Amino acid sequence: MKKYAGVLIAALSLLGGAVPAMAHHSFAAEYDANKPVTITGTVTKVEWMNPHARFYVDVKTPDGKVTNWNFELGAIPVLLKQGWRKTSLKEGDQVTVEGSRAKDGSFSANARRVSLPDGRKVFAGSSAPNADQ
Amino acid sequence: MTAALFGLDPIGESKVKKWIFSASVAGVLSLAVIALAAPQNGSNAATPPARGRGRGGAPRRGPGGPVPLLSDGHPDFSGIWNGQQTIAGNDVTSTGPGSSPTTGVPPMLPWAAKVQADRAKNQFADDFEARCLPGGPPRIPPYHISLFSTPKLVLMLFEGNTHMYRQFFVDGSDHPKNLKPTFYGDSRAHWEGDQLVVDTIGFNDISWIDGQGHPHSKQMHLVEKFRRPDFGNLQIEVDIDDPGTYQGHWHMNRVTTIETGMEMTEYVCNENNQDPGHLDHANNDGKHP
Repeated sequence: MKKYAGVLIAALSLLGGAVPAMAHHSFAAEYDANKPVTITGTVTKVEWMNPHARFYVDVKTPDGKVTNWNFELGAIPVLLKQGWRKTSLKEGDQVTVEGSRAKDGSFSANARRVSLPDGRKVFAGSSAPNADQ
Repeated sequence: MTAALFGLDPIGESKVKKWIFSASVAGVLSLAVIALAAPQNGSNAATPPARGRGRGGAPRRGPGGPVPLLSDGHPDFSGIWNGQQTIAGNDVTSTGPGSSPTTGVPPMLPWAAKVQADRAKNQFADDFEARCLPGGPPRIPPYHISLFSTPKLVLMLFEGNTHMYRQFFVDGSDHPKNLKPTFYGDSRAHWEGDQLVVDTIGFNDISWIDGQGHPHSKQMHLVEKFRRPDFGNLQIEVDIDDPGTYQGHWHMNRVTTIETGMEMTEYVCNENNQDPGHLDHANNDGKHP
């Protein structure tokens, strides 16, 4: 029932206002929408900060190496509208993140969707073209 | 598509559609109820309004009801307002030979056309807003704005991109002479019926008119007409004249909706701005390594 209440609230919110998921920077200059990544790993740090919230994920590769990915979320005003809270992600959480990789080849990406430990998938306030909101 | 509106996957799309229908029937419930009932994580997704051209769609409507009035009888614009939305299909028009029927942008002088083309070529990586500098009007500010109306002064407070403000003086005063150019210029306002007409000059030439990198000069003259037709809606007509940059007049219609049950958040842009490092890469060559 709790889940359905959430959907009802989300649906009702369509009747009201919203704030654009615009970023303070050009998406295309920084990320490549044609380079999707799906990463599963352990959250090592969450930065509930401006201009974007961020979280970091340790990913083990088959050869045993660990890579720490840096994921950019939307701006906090946008995330709050999408139901995110500062405590939505915590260090140690196992997550799967879908996003667009940074063009500079670093282990960073713009997150579009995050699968939380309890199975819910939440949108990430992405400013990517045609991103789910 | 419908499911894409929600931050929930455990529930199937058909159920989501049913809930949307139910929600539509139950549309009399207030936004305040929504805000009070908001879940603590992960499921309150709202569709964003379009930003400028390209995200199109009919503008959303805020709740109706009587317009609050100031002590002098003029409309009170006070409240927190969502991001501005240009009206799809009728959002931007311009006049002058060579005006673009597809973008609504008036013809640019050669220097401006080159600047805008260069900015587009590097995918707008050199946007000052990405370095936490103000966008400056008429660029639509990101996130919420708060308007605070008094009979003699209207304040516009920005949630992003910097916690800046604009002051609309409604006291009959004129623009000061010898203005020092600034991001936000100098705004003097007067009433025409229920419409607040805000006249702004004194801009610097640093900010962009929009996210597409259209430049402006210090000659830019901006006139914005604010009208609150009912409780939940604000209409803003924007008129731009800048003979130092454009050969024609630029007109935009924008709308925004009231937001209730919330407060503006702190948004200190430079708190953890990691973007410039990535953007500088695009500035260098714009290619993948």
